[in-house]
Amino acid sequence: MRTFSIITALLLPLGAQAQDRAPILMDATETHILPRFAQLADATETLATTAQADCAPDSEDLRTAYRAAFDSWISASHLRFGPTETDDRAFAMAFWPDTKGFTPKTLSRHIATEDAAVGSPEAYAETSIAGRGFLALERMLYDPAMAEQGSAAYRCALIRAIATDIDRNAEAMNTDWQTYAPNLTQPGDDSLYRSGDEAMQELFRALTTGLEFTADTRLGRPLGTFERPRPNRAEARRSGRSLRHVELSLIALRDLAARLSFDHPQIAADLDVAFARAIDRAQALDDPAFAGVDTPQGHIRVEALQQSINDIREIASTELGPTLGISAGFNSLDGD
Amino acid sequence: MTSRRDFLAGLAAASLAPVPGWSSVGAPDFLAAALFPDGSYRLSGLDGKGAILFSIPLPARGHAAAAHPFKAQAVAFARRPGTFAIVFDCASGTVIKRLEAPKGRHFYGHGTFSANGDRFFTTENDYEAAEGVIGVWDAVNYIRLGEFPSGGVGPHDMRLMPDGETLVIANGGIETHPETGRTKLNLPTMQPNLTYVDLSGSVLAQVELTDALRKNSIRHLAVRGDGLVGFAMQWQGSLTKHPPLLGLHRLGEEPRLLSAPETDQSALQGYAGSIAFAADGNSIAITCPRGNALLRFDVESAAFTDAFALEDVCGLGAGSEGLVFTTGTGAFGALNATRAEISAQPDCQWDNHLIPIRTFG
Repeated sequence: MRTFSIITALLLPLGAQAQDRAPILMDATETHILPRFAQLADATETLATTAQADCAPDSEDLRTAYRAAFDSWISASHLRFGPTETDDRAFAMAFWPDTKGFTPKTLSRHIATEDAAVGSPEAYAETSIAGRGFLALERMLYDPAMAEQGSAAYRCALIRAIATDIDRNAEAMNTDWQTYAPNLTQPGDDSLYRSGDEAMQELFRALTTGLEFTADTRLGRPLGTFERPRPNRAEARRSGRSLRHVELSLIALRDLAARLSFDHPQIAADLDVAFARAIDRAQALDDPAFAGVDTPQGHIRVEALQQSINDIREIASTELGPTLGISAGFNSLDGD
Repeated sequence: MTSRRDFLAGLAAASLAPVPGWSSVGAPDFLAAALFPDGSYRLSGLDGKGAILFSIPLPARGHAAAAHPFKAQAVAFARRPGTFAIVFDCASGTVIKRLEAPKGRHFYGHGTFSANGDRFFTTENDYEAAEGVIGVWDAVNYIRLGEFPSGGVGPHDMRLMPDGETLVIANGGIETHPETGRTKLNLPTMQPNLTYVDLSGSVLAQVELTDALRKNSIRHLAVRGDGLVGFAMQWQGSLTKHPPLLGLHRLGEEPRLLSAPETDQSALQGYAGSIAFAADGNSIAITCPRGNALLRFDVESAAFTDAFALEDVCGLGAGSEGLVFTTGTGAFGALNATRAEISAQPDCQWDNHLIPIRTFG
């Protein structure tokens, strides 16, 4: 049987294989992309209504809703193109890394001036992007320095405004993804993607940039250097979510990789083994905010996790990429 | 016994030719870095047809290089975020000096000499402050003299203007930190610009694009003899948009942006790698390795002229007539009025840039 299929493949004109992206594009769009944004919109709606009911920073209901909604975002945030990218929506969901400390500055300014934008969702959406999204809300819920600023009433209004803004943003993405989906599932003259290959390349790029972000930024920033680790740079460390984001992103990317490699069982198997190894390492780490990078042993363990993600990247770029017609040129890959 | 006349003649010879000039290495027209089949990265001197006149091993993959205006000396930069650059004597292939970026700085991969060859300038990242810096070096002994702000974040290419007293800097706007590799840390707030400074770092002028093009990173430059600056861009926004990747600017005027028709423009994946004016200055081109294309435009009318399909094309420079280019597949070719002709195809992979040795020849 195997021999037969190889011969058939050789006899087919090159173009015939190139056209057969439809099942994977349909599967990735319908079962990977769209459900994630629907789930996100549900979770952020719960967050917004919970904040309306109880805006106390230490409210367990509010924190639970916050964690669930942030989980949903991390599980969708690698899909950073199309409606996710429009108007910087992804950055408005999570302004990170914040290398210049814009988020606390923006929030302090809102509080100090009692910025009236918190009274109107439309107005709040026009304020600085650094004061929006899950990292801004994390400051309000988990940073003791914020809880001492201004009046309790204003802080409550600010928490509600950020939660509502997150929900509006998620709703907009979810709505727009429904109308954007046919671009991916029906590439061609009426689509933003002129061919199935182009649409596949967009999804492949989501996979590789997602892996890159998790390895180089989510882990690279707290790792710093061996001589000078930077645990205070870990993502969402105040809510103790740094490691969880690595794990959630790997789980989401594993699902995407499996769908994209469906036609290539050997590559699919290689990727799955590599993902399993990385996820196992993340789950075994027991260092939720990467505070342990301060110690030599802790640093080495996080580095090992980073290496296991780089191993996945290697398989993606050398095995999966070429099957999708991704240009592997010396200069086109350099990016400088 | 040495006569006074002999003594003076000897003195003159010693002061006029203390180091070999470019003619001593076959008068190359260009420098380019490449990966060779044995796995070595080398910096080569090329003639106008792409023949390799000399080839010096590099310790790692290079990015751009800079050619001394008259001595046969080249500075090769490591790939971003490299912390060293190497000054070579191209006649002997020996290392004259290894330039180390100061603590807290790394090089971006481009640099330029002053017209008289006594200063060398490098684009650098002050990465803790996330501010661009221009390093100033003594180019006789290659000692660091100081630095000044580049006028933005992420300075990449930099050129000396024809007046010899002004530098034009492409501040790409993208913040990176060596600890996070090439991850772009500030896309939602990035703001690239073109900055003109005098050689002591005083800002003479700054140009920004409109807010809709804020995510178009200004990366590479070409300068015409009359001071017209061409700039090539790399789009960091949605790939479903196809903004212009080439601009022209003259001090005191508004920038002009040049774009090909949508069918050509949309194939570029928002990425231009190199830029150069043709020898006569009437046309300008960009290479687009992700779109495997070279696009040419008329400078006067700012109109698109033609596109050439060339696999992994990136290096670009002015040739004896028109333009010359290199590709990641080893080709060296020339573009005349109507077509691209490959004149050399050595077994190597040419890296991003082709560095002219005579800037305004």
